Amino acid sequence: MNTQLLPAMAASSRGTRKGPGTFTAQHRRRLFRADLLTTSAWASVAAAVALWLADGGATGFSTPAGAFTALGIVAGLAGMDLVLLMLLLAARIPLIDQTVGHDRALEFHRKLGKPSLYLLLAHGILVAIGYGMAEGLDPVSEAVSLWVMVPDMWLAYISMALFIAVVVTSLVAVRRRFPYEFWYAVHLLTYAAVATSIPHQFSVGGLFAEGTWQRWYWLAVCIATGAALLHYRVLEPVVATFRHQLTVSRVVQVAPGVVSIEMHGLHLNELAGTGGRFFIWRFLAPGLWWHPHPFSLSAEPLQFDASGRGLLRITVRNLGRGSAQLAAVKPGTKVAVEGPYGIFSTAARSRDKVVMIGAGIGITPLRALLESTPFAPGQATVILRGRSEQELYLGDEILELAGNRGATVFHLTGGRSGRHPGSWLPDSTTKAGYRLADYAPDVATADVYVCGPAAWARNVLADARAAGVKEDQLHYERFDW
Amino acid sequence: MQRTSDYPPAPPALRARTFSCMGTVVSLTLPAALGADKLAAATAVVEQLFAGLDETFSLYRPDSEASRLARAEIALPEASEDMRRLYADAVGWRLLTEGAFTPERPDGVLDLSGIVKGYAIQEAGTSLLALGLRDWCLNAGGDVLVSGSPVLVSGSPVPGSPESAGREPWRAGIVDPEDRRTLIAGYPLGGRSGAKLALATSGSAERGDHIWAAGAGSGARPGSAAPVFRQVSVAAADIVTADVLATAIVAGGLPMLDRATDGWDIEVLAVRAGGELLATPGFRR
Amino acid sequence: MRIRSAISATLASAGILLAGWQSGIHVEDTRGAAASTPAGTSGTTGATGSSSGTTGSTGSSSGTTGTSSTSGTTATDSGAAAEPTTGAAAKAGGTYAGSVVQTRFGAVQVQITVNAGSITDVTALHLTDDDRKSIMISNRAAPLLKAEVLAAQSADVQTIGGATITSDAYLSSLQAAIDAANL
Repeated sequence: MNTQLLPAMAASSRGTRKGPGTFTAQHRRRLFRADLLTTSAWASVAAAVALWLADGGATGFSTPAGAFTALGIVAGLAGMDLVLLMLLLAARIPLIDQTVGHDRALEFHRKLGKPSLYLLLAHGILVAIGYGMAEGLDPVSEAVSLWVMVPDMWLAYISMALFIAVVVTSLVAVRRRFPYEFWYAVHLLTYAAVATSIPHQFSVGGLFAEGTWQRWYWLAVCIATGAALLHYRVLEPVVATFRHQLTVSRVVQVAPGVVSIEMHGLHLNELAGTGGRFFIWRFLAPGLWWHPHPFSLSAEPLQFDASGRGLLRITVRNLGRGSAQLAAVKPGTKVAVEGPYGIFSTAARSRDKVVMIGAGIGITPLRALLESTPFAPGQATVILRGRSEQELYLGDEILELAGNRGATVFHLTGGRSGRHPGSWLPDSTTKAGYRLADYAPDVATADVYVCGPAAWARNVLADARAAGVKEDQLHYERFDW
Repeated sequence: MQRTSDYPPAPPALRARTFSCMGTVVSLTLPAALGADKLAAATAVVEQLFAGLDETFSLYRPDSEASRLARAEIALPEASEDMRRLYADAVGWRLLTEGAFTPERPDGVLDLSGIVKGYAIQEAGTSLLALGLRDWCLNAGGDVLVSGSPVLVSGSPVPGSPESAGREPWRAGIVDPEDRRTLIAGYPLGGRSGAKLALATSGSAERGDHIWAAGAGSGARPGSAAPVFRQVSVAAADIVTADVLATAIVAGGLPMLDRATDGWDIEVLAVRAGGELLATPGFRR
Repeated sequence: MRIRSAISATLASAGILLAGWQSGIHVEDTRGAAASTPAGTSGTTGATGSSSGTTGSTGSSSGTTGTSSTSGTTATDSGAAAEPTTGAAAKAGGTYAGSVVQTRFGAVQVQITVNAGSITDVTALHLTDDDRKSIMISNRAAPLLKAEVLAAQSADVQTIGGATITSDAYLSSLQAAIDAANL
């Protein structure tokens, strides 16, 4: 039933087993990078405000009208800076991706959404009030006269409307009402919103007038952000797609509603060692090509020869309409690929020991991780959860891999307890009083990888924290974003 | 009092005739050397032309075509050639000024008075040139169109002769809106080729006829908004452009002023509500 | 480690803001001086002179081209305009600067000329720091002092431009006087 694929990276991952403490330095470097990124993000907001201070903006506070205008300008600068940060966070820049992870980056991205919208709204309102007071107009009349009379301002109003539309459709409550495709289409309007907001910043704002160093700084920041987006979200995926020439070779039913898709292509050795990290796939077939699917490899790429020709595999469960269609993908379909993204991988390791916990389709990334991440025999524990044996996708493969590498595997099947909403274990084991530490006694000194449905994963993480696992040891890949 | 040495040269000998039309007074001034008969004949031509246009376009005459249009007794497509042409011109200006100049009153009534006077002056100027007159100054209620120079050079100048390149200009004064008995600035019109020939002035103080508050098309600004400019003078090559832009700048404020100076070859002197001046280089000393 | 990033982010931001503020103080100083000093002629020219320092060279050239208004130009010109005032008049004379008001088109300051105890001229100065901003604001029509425009006396003009006057008002107008002289 399951095709056994031989790992391409056998030698590098298993042969050169790393000694204890190897991950401490890696972990320290990653934390340093994270701090550096956080610091520069905040510093960029401060710099935006400093641009204005350096222009003597603080004098504005001498009058009430000036104070409104000044606050409005500061809000606009900070808001635009946050918008640019949001774009960078969503640009899939390797430095950010490998430091905080793709899902954490998107989490920050989402967190900045509302503050930046509020700042931009405040910008519009405060400036209208400030200008209005200076000219003896009420804010509404001033807003209208700005729209009508000042060049580029109408674009700024359109931009504002687009920003509101984008943020509102991204609110969780609203987002659930619409299909992913609708949200995705609206979200693309962000680019239009940013593009229409830029002209008035340079033409109306005196701060960025021609000949000022502030203008150059702001131009550089805007252009760098645009270039990063273009490079990492358009150019690299196109290059990767042409380089790897992926084509579907066969689609295998693994379990009811679960398929493994095997693809052959070129230079697959470059994708080796990315177990647990995910790629974004587009199957270039009518009706499918525009829908991006995030899936991780469920097995290390199999390499045929030195040129990197070979096979790779993803395993997919029917989660939504988009994934359902994937079962019908025909062999011979070309595949566009972006990635790898995320740090659900060896790059996130901070300890020598490792505990992997997966449920349902979330097991598949663990299989690739188990295959490649370094550990000494006896230092890894794998816990697989499913309502039934059938839901332990790739369970057999994992059992065999674990046997070869010296990892402990638990298959825990059965529904969760209805009476213990905080539990992630099967009903029977919960009743018996078992917890994570009972399966993995060393969990407090291990890296814990968790992959599965959001509600379930929350419970696992809570249990792990209770067992003494610190935040930086927890690695969790969200599947439902 | 010593007024001998630096006293300005004696004013050139001029002769003027006036008549009343369109609610204001029109003055035609010619060098006196041309003779009183020529002036009388020229004035008659100009007066006839003004009277004819007033008959068609006056909203104060209940029987005028404009009034009948306003009462919707006739529709624009049935209107006279002149009416339709002027309306088309006015709509063109509305586009060019992005709505700051408009041929319609806020109540929707078609009102071409913002453009009729300029048009009348222009037509009168064309007639004067057709009569063979090269040196004259036509002033209709403060809007001025000139040709040539107030000083004749050795008899009557030959049209297009080289000496017309550098002759004495007509000196126009612009009244101070604060005190209409004094002048705020001067401006030379005509005299040499390439000089501006027309000067039109619009004010916000005493007339509300065809300058409705600055809505720039949207009619958005309620009447509460005070006009930015008390008075705007525009010098241009032709009187219609000068007149329309002066009106538009009073209605459209600073943004319209900037658009006007960017888009047309004009000189502007604007008096702000507080009395401060804004001027293009041509008005600088 | 979170604490470390919070501290470094705070320090970096504070440092950047401080640097921005420090370099902004120069601008504020000159503006502040122009705004608050009720200066006699020398005081006004001195205070605004420093702000015009950057644009001093362009000040004179833009005076002739007139395509842009700069605080430099206005300041120098007003200084020049005020000079004879104090030269001739005694203690109560001079130019006084009002407070700076921020508008959509930049900072504007009112300047009052006092001669022998009474106000003889009130002018708005455009205080936008340098050329660039006022260029954006009004491309060609620049603020001027009344003394800077082409002067004219009713004695030496041949025609009068003004907002439309009615037939009734004509009788008492300057144009009527000129026309009458030429009848």
